[in-house]
Amino acid sequence: MSVWEIVELARHPDRPYSLDYIRRLAPDFIELHGDRLSADDPALVGGVGTWHRRTTMFLGHQKGRSLKERVGRNWGMMHPEGYRKALRLAHHAAKFGFPIVSLIDTPGAYPGAGAEERGIAAAIAQAIMEWFRIPVPIVAAVIGEGGSGGALGMGVADRVIMLENSIYSVASPEAAASIVWRDNSRKVEAAEQLQITSREIVGMGVVEEVVPEPNGSASADYDAAAGALDEALYRHMKPLLDEPSSQLLQHRYDRFRYIDSLIRAEPHFGPKID
Amino acid sequence: MIAEMPRDEVAIQGGPLPEILLPTNCPGCGIALPVAELRAHNYVCTDCGHHFRLGADIWIPLIADQGSWIERWSDVRSHDLLNWTVPKSYQETVETLLEEGLNEAVRTGTCTLAKKPIWLAAFDFGFVGGTLSIVAGERLARGMEQAASTGTPYVLVSASGGARMQEGVLALMQLAKVNAAVGRMHDAGVPFFSVLTDPTFGGTAASLALLGDINIAEPGAAIGFTGPRVIKQATYADLPPGFQSAEFQLAHGQVDMVVQRTELRPLLAHLLEMYS
Repeated sequence: MSVWEIVELARHPDRPYSLDYIRRLAPDFIELHGDRLSADDPALVGGVGTWHRRTTMFLGHQKGRSLKERVGRNWGMMHPEGYRKALRLAHHAAKFGFPIVSLIDTPGAYPGAGAEERGIAAAIAQAIMEWFRIPVPIVAAVIGEGGSGGALGMGVADRVIMLENSIYSVASPEAAASIVWRDNSRKVEAAEQLQITSREIVGMGVVEEVVPEPNGSASADYDAAAGALDEALYRHMKPLLDEPSSQLLQHRYDRFRYIDSLIRAEPHFGPKID
Repeated sequence: MIAEMPRDEVAIQGGPLPEILLPTNCPGCGIALPVAELRAHNYVCTDCGHHFRLGADIWIPLIADQGSWIERWSDVRSHDLLNWTVPKSYQETVETLLEEGLNEAVRTGTCTLAKKPIWLAAFDFGFVGGTLSIVAGERLARGMEQAASTGTPYVLVSASGGARMQEGVLALMQLAKVNAAVGRMHDAGVPFFSVLTDPTFGGTAASLALLGDINIAEPGAAIGFTGPRVIKQATYADLPPGFQSAEFQLAHGQVDMVVQRTELRPLLAHLLEMYS
């Protein structure tokens, strides 16, 4: 399969979205809304459900299925309110000791004037910093598109895994082409250069595992895809549930602090920290 | 506030400023500016107040007391990990810039400001658009960890297009690496003063630059997440004049103040006095 075919699979309109997975993982899922400041961002769903006999906080980008729903959910592109809602629910989970599962599936944060006016940069910055202080286990999975800061804003976790046909990128191939080539029609080349497929990302040591999808793609069999995701998520979550929170937070810090350790090991990277 | 400061004490200039090649005409108003006059005014146009974009080599002596700057980890080098070849070889780009005397998009070290010890980090927009790279992230995180453990205030001067495309997802991960280190400074109660200069965008705005305890923007600096060109492409919106300017960000609650460059050093000196 070419890189671009994987990008198209990751974005496929028939691909299962966060709610398709969450309802299979926790059939008693109850959605919670709002950032308690000004709004509810429908591009991010959040709520509680029973998962492996434990109340768990689920968060996930949600794209829409019909055109109307796509518009309503803004194609899974969060506004600042979405990151503030995620943090509210993270603190809620911390209060009750619920572990957190975060599903990532977004082209990026919303690139619009309203998002800028309401502080999208600061909202993402704050979210990324706050995730390091949430004293409950967090496992994240990229289930489709992991686009840029919009994805990372929901992607600071103790373990991060990726579905086979998902992508994780510093910028969407279109945006990267527009930045590097000043021509967003060079998206195919950009996708190849950026190394965004799950195999490449796991090779860089940025995620812990690639979860195989049923028979080529998750769109073909939602139940099987959810089953595989469930098994992998829980296998990563289970050992975290017994870790004391101070150790958990230290490990989460170290995970990202040394995430580029494959590169740091290169001799030209210079002397180790003194 | 600043007027009450003992001016002769806090106005101690940093080290001698290096020679730079400047356009003879101000990009703001077009007036011809003698280099000596411009330097005497911290590279602010005496006519229209336009703040020139400066490299790290100018920012460091503008902030640090003369002779106090000790640069750290300048030997840490970036290299091409994705085998990036088109449209330009990343390895060649980096090597050319190094030969030109630029040392990555972030330089960091310790110095004093009005005799108070600080950690200082300055972005350099001339190095691949001041983009956050693994090396930039490493220098920032190491400095912040040391600032946190020694209780030394941290001053950041940003000018950046965001994360560096040519380092792929590992460049994106620098946002998390650096923000985690900012969290360490917060936990340690170490003051973090962030100076946002033109331009500060993308992953840099969405990480450390807007996380200062006090965010200080330069007049007219463009600050935001998504650049105006991309916003127009994506939403077909007409953006009003001044959109994403420092003054816009002040009005929208993202920065604490917009400060003239000529007032910056006295302001930082006063803040260091109050927060130590």
